[in-house]
Amino acid sequence: MKYMNLSIEELHKLLKKGEVTSKDLIKESLELSHEVQEKYNAFVTILDDAKETEVTDNLLSGIPFGVKDNYSTKGVLSTGSSNTLKNYVPFFDATGYEKLKNVGAVMVNKTVMDEFGMGGTGTTGHTGTVRNPWDRTRMCAGSSSGSACAVAAGVYPYATGSDTGDSIRKPAAYCGIVGYKPTYGMISRYGLFAFASSLDHLGVLTRNVKDAAIVVDNMKGIDEKDMTSWDSSNIHLADSLDGNIKGKKLCYIKEICNLENYKNPSEELTKHLNNFKDKIDLIRKSGVQVDEVSVDNTLLKAIASTYVIISCAEATSNMSNLTGLSFGPRGKGSNFKEMVKDYRTKGFSTLIKRRFVIGSYVLQRENQERYFKNAQRVRRLLVDEWKKIFREYDAVILPVGTGPAKKLQTDSLDILTEGTEALEEHLQVGNFGGFPSITIPDGFIDGLPVGLNITGNCKTDANVLNIAYGIESLMNYKNQIAKEEK
Amino acid sequence: MGKFTKEMVDDYADKLLIGLTPEENKLVLDEFDVIDKNCDIVNSIPNISSVEPMTQCLDDFEYELREDVAIKSDSIEDLLSNCEEKENREVKLPKVVG
Repeated sequence: MKYMNLSIEELHKLLKKGEVTSKDLIKESLELSHEVQEKYNAFVTILDDAKETEVTDNLLSGIPFGVKDNYSTKGVLSTGSSNTLKNYVPFFDATGYEKLKNVGAVMVNKTVMDEFGMGGTGTTGHTGTVRNPWDRTRMCAGSSSGSACAVAAGVYPYATGSDTGDSIRKPAAYCGIVGYKPTYGMISRYGLFAFASSLDHLGVLTRNVKDAAIVVDNMKGIDEKDMTSWDSSNIHLADSLDGNIKGKKLCYIKEICNLENYKNPSEELTKHLNNFKDKIDLIRKSGVQVDEVSVDNTLLKAIASTYVIISCAEATSNMSNLTGLSFGPRGKGSNFKEMVKDYRTKGFSTLIKRRFVIGSYVLQRENQERYFKNAQRVRRLLVDEWKKIFREYDAVILPVGTGPAKKLQTDSLDILTEGTEALEEHLQVGNFGGFPSITIPDGFIDGLPVGLNITGNCKTDANVLNIAYGIESLMNYKNQIAKEEK
Repeated sequence: MGKFTKEMVDDYADKLLIGLTPEENKLVLDEFDVIDKNCDIVNSIPNISSVEPMTQCLDDFEYELREDVAIKSDSIEDLLSNCEEKENREVKLPKVVG
């Protein structure tokens, strides 16, 4: 029998009854890991020696899961999908992972990502492109590409992710699963490879909302090793789910969602937005108030550049310790500068190099005002707009991206092009404000999954998840496993 | 402020100790061109310069400082465990002076 397509609660019940053992689950998950690796290239490392754990009353005990490769895992290769760390083995655990390990959850693999989380395609990892399990000619998006792929393919019920722009929530949409990033600081960032510290979040990818709540309940908590973490001991995400959403107030942003705002929309975009509006009608019928609101288009159009400027600037600073001298493969050269340059030039992907140069430029004193400071100002204006909305509404509900997963063979992967729509990048506002934000699947376009996103105010995670839980129950996309049609 | 040029891209990359191919240099300029145009739009927002820059997600957050008690630091052996060239308890580097 296959077990890895089941939910966490279902698996826990079987384990408690003794109908299956932790060892059985790990064996199945490892077999599936190798199959998925062969087809979609989702893993940097598969831990064939993963050991079963005691099954306790904790729902996660004995159950296998995956870990994104930018989480430090003691004694286990952790590369951030970069050649610059291709041999790096941490001597400590990231707190988010350590908490799962301590309750008996079993890591069975480390998942491929865009290098250091700095991409959105799943094509820049040093071990190659991650392919979408619904159609391997398409991307999973990124950067939590391998985690999304593996969960969608049914390798285990959940995998960890990180999200600096939309790195959990867009891959979730492209793979037909759930992606949740909680409020900033709810899960400690200690041991996560820093990309852009003021935007970095840890989170999880699952196949249903309740599983996401269960996992984050176990990962969250104040941590003295991360001074931006906070005490969330009064928040019980899974216990708060009752699915009662009648009377809740949601809104969508008309500049993003209305088809007439787009010149010559593609067939996919048309279907995607029509599908979203159909789901809004469905949600309204369940007793939820859903209104249309307006946000200044100038601000919306500035989202992508604001994100690139802030994230590149912070990344440039964070990555300065990557020298190849005290860790990482040594570069060649007669002095330390030549060695570092050789290490970085050969080790970084094109995307990373580009981002670092842009980050360095916008941080120069003479450029700061026009680029970096203004980006931070737009960040505040956008966050203020969203907070204004949250004074009246429980959450904002929006479609994710411009349609289903994009084809891999395009020339413009991950290049910020003119005309990038707010539709493609609005999830980044969730990182600007640290808002709790969850993507759930909301349908199919030509056999490929699409998703919608629900984002609420900081520390209202329980409400946001309950809304997602209620909406999930109105549709038929819960617990789906990817099936390739071709 | 001058325009971001090919030479400047190479100069910044060099300061970062990163080598760029001509294709990579062009990609930087292409992406930056889009950013620059968007910054023109941002600069047109009325009173943008009077907005306080936002540096943190939770900028009303009150940090709880931990007790000022010394904690055991990581062992040198652990810290050097990923270093490819070391000598005794130190990272080994080429001579800098002399």
